[in-house]
Amino acid sequence: MSMASTQDKVRQDLDVAAIRQQFPILSQKVHDRPLVFLDSAASAQKPEAVIEAMAHTMRCQYANIHRGLYWMSERTTEAYEAVRDQVARFLNAHSREEIVFTRNSTEAINLVAHSFGALLKPGQAVVISEMEHHANLIPWQMLRDRAGIELRVAPITDAGDIDLDALQGLLADGKVALVAMTHMSNVLGTVTPAKTIADMAHAAGAQVLFDGSQSVVHRKTDVQALGADFYTFTGHKLYGPTGIGVLWARKELLEAMPPFMGGGDMISTVTFEKSTWANVPHKFEAGTPAIIETIGLGAAISWVEAIGFEAIGAHEAALTVHALTRLADVPGLKIVGQPKERGGVISFTMDDVHPHDIATLLDRNGIAVRAGHHCAEPLMRRLGLTATARASFGIYTLPEEIDTLADTLVRIRNFFV
Amino acid sequence: MNSLTDSGALYDRLIVDRARTPLHAGRLEQADAQGEGKNPLCGDKTRVDVQMADTHISQIRHQTRGCAICLAAADLMAERVTGLTVPQAQDLSRRFSAMLVNEPASTPDTNTNTPALGPLEAFAPLRAHRARIRCAELPWVALKEALSHVDV
Repeated sequence: MSMASTQDKVRQDLDVAAIRQQFPILSQKVHDRPLVFLDSAASAQKPEAVIEAMAHTMRCQYANIHRGLYWMSERTTEAYEAVRDQVARFLNAHSREEIVFTRNSTEAINLVAHSFGALLKPGQAVVISEMEHHANLIPWQMLRDRAGIELRVAPITDAGDIDLDALQGLLADGKVALVAMTHMSNVLGTVTPAKTIADMAHAAGAQVLFDGSQSVVHRKTDVQALGADFYTFTGHKLYGPTGIGVLWARKELLEAMPPFMGGGDMISTVTFEKSTWANVPHKFEAGTPAIIETIGLGAAISWVEAIGFEAIGAHEAALTVHALTRLADVPGLKIVGQPKERGGVISFTMDDVHPHDIATLLDRNGIAVRAGHHCAEPLMRRLGLTATARASFGIYTLPEEIDTLADTLVRIRNFFV
Repeated sequence: MNSLTDSGALYDRLIVDRARTPLHAGRLEQADAQGEGKNPLCGDKTRVDVQMADTHISQIRHQTRGCAICLAAADLMAERVTGLTVPQAQDLSRRFSAMLVNEPASTPDTNTNTPALGPLEAFAPLRAHRARIRCAELPWVALKEALSHVDV
């Protein structure tokens, strides 16, 4: 497709100009240039609806939850617990009891590694993939070292897809208790075949966890259709605030698992001799939770759902095609990974120009991208790289911003090479 | 190309040239001391070989894998500290760091008669790029380690 036609395609799917007006930060200037924000995969910007919901809570309707016997606490509790219903619908969970609020996806995975991990016995195994974010690697390494389980790593193909034959081999001995994998790579953009992986895991007697941090932003997530047992995501990539994440797990699993952290709110009765735990999900939510952030997450989900994943998906797919077309024309630029199915995340290198130099010079031109190992060092090693630059797109990304990126990259290359 | 880099002027011509064509890269077969610096955040790595002649640094070579800032910093460091005594090199290192974090201009230690920063002042614009300061400091970390092995 020509540049003009891929630009036009982006325009048809979404009224991006109207959406951008809802993000106050996007009208900022950086180094006297209009901000071109291409780092949504690290953390997305926040629409007015989210900012306002959080500010409104603090201004008008705030108290601690679950224990106050007064009007304000009851209203805040209702608002907080309403988000649990909302998240349950968002993921198509069987019930609200399956939604545990955490600080982020990292904490959600740590919760599973700790509490589901406590049910595992030495000799059992957990399988991850070669393209995991450290968040879905380190907790399992820690569990391995503490509990004597085995950690197996499913390789990826050179294109950046999970090697399903190799995965099958890792599952063959029946020792695997859990397959924990990304649903969308934060480096390669690979969307993994979650249903297929879940079926393979279940056939081998294993449970399956998907790290949905990247993918929930771009597509409708249905944990039942995916056949997942655990699913995690974080609020701040979904146009919500930091400090709030979600663990979804099948209720039977949550009920069988011991608590993660101890403290207030997660108990049923407490004596000095012995305590008993609250029912799920509260068993896993010790202490005063991130009340304001949870309400912000609810606002973010409402906002995203009002736009609809059909339009979001089409917009981002068109942007990605446009970006791949434009970046292919930058001399010396190599796109890292050619996965079968890809989301709006593109990693690249450019001749010998170090990704940090690329990022700094892009920044001088108002363009924000990520550069480094993207919290996926083993993947970088697998790819034979130390770092890449990464552009990632959101609801508010314009095709012209991708053009600015491509044009500036050409100038940076001319500067260095 | 000015419009690409203006206002920050971080990528001074000298820095870009030294990153592309370093003058002090390589190893020293007869090194008296070695030091290494690694930045786990970006994978940058530098190794510094130091050769002494009496109390003075007579030669330095570096092997650096990293960004333009790190490469040029290693090369210009090698150039600048050649001929200095260990205390002079350590004083220069302190003043280089102070310049990067925008501390009030620190004057050379009168006891050591350390020369001025000279071409190292090309890195001053890093003040406005806090995340990149460690790139320029990495070779100095390696030098510090090397000098700690030198008996003078």
